[in-house]
Amino acid sequence: MACMNEEGQWIVLMGLLVAVGLFFLALIINQSALVGQTTAEGVLEFPKNDIRDLRSAIFDYTKGFGNVDNISSRSVQDDITMISLERKNAVVSFTVGEKMDVSGRWLHPVQIHYNNGVTEYDETAYH
Amino acid sequence: MVNDRGQIYTMEGVAAGLIMLLTAYIVISTTSIYTPGDTHIPDMQLEQLGSDVLAMMDTPDTNGGESRLIELVRGGTGTGDALRDEFLAGCKMRSGGPDDDLRAQVYLSYRTSGGSVKMIPLSSTDPEFTGRENTVRVTRWVQLQTRPTTGMPGDMALRPQAVLVEVLLWRA
Repeated sequence: MACMNEEGQWIVLMGLLVAVGLFFLALIINQSALVGQTTAEGVLEFPKNDIRDLRSAIFDYTKGFGNVDNISSRSVQDDITMISLERKNAVVSFTVGEKMDVSGRWLHPVQIHYNNGVTEYDETAYH
Repeated sequence: MVNDRGQIYTMEGVAAGLIMLLTAYIVISTTSIYTPGDTHIPDMQLEQLGSDVLAMMDTPDTNGGESRLIELVRGGTGTGDALRDEFLAGCKMRSGGPDDDLRAQVYLSYRTSGGSVKMIPLSSTDPEFTGRENTVRVTRWVQLQTRPTTGMPGDMALRPQAVLVEVLLWRA
């Protein structure tokens, strides 16, 4: 050790720092592939568009039928429930209540239940 | 006696070796092989695109009017191809050149007068469709006042009803 030339130690130090820096950059790239995949999986798994579409279909139903209970309204309800179960693997049920005063506006309370085994969604909306 | 000169070189060598090994490990594990099961990201984008286009087609031009989607569904199998073409035109609308690789097929799910759920194709079958494509399915509810007079199967009930438009969308 005694005879070692100690000049240029900073070069060695910089080399070490650069190596450590490269390391972290590589780690970030390594994680980014995983992040994109898990995010996309999460988005695909969550039935955002299904729920939105179901809500708008139920609001269309409410606009057409209100809370009347007759053969036509019951068959449209059954259409939505049964096609959801058969084609979308989702258990859906909804009820439309009597019009009530909501801050001065007369609206139907609409209860929506949705469950596709992974995502459960319940809502009471006023339409 | 063992000469202890040059120990710092040994330590440096060991440190450098460790750094090289770790770097090689990280670099190699960064590379991922793209397998057919790994298509989540493009699938997600395609599904979102299709849902957006269906929502756009389901929006009436004027308040209280009828949307283009309902109009085309009411035409049944007669306007199924038009429905598919307009849907694809909506999907391909983007800046730059058109996206010619997209294909779609439209189906309709309805309830028969007996009460069971059935599905029929609305658009004509794509000649290159093999059934093994990596497709996504986007759907939209449509409410009809009654059974349309033409283009619909005879076992569809004659009453106001909700039907489900299903679009299979894939990249050829």
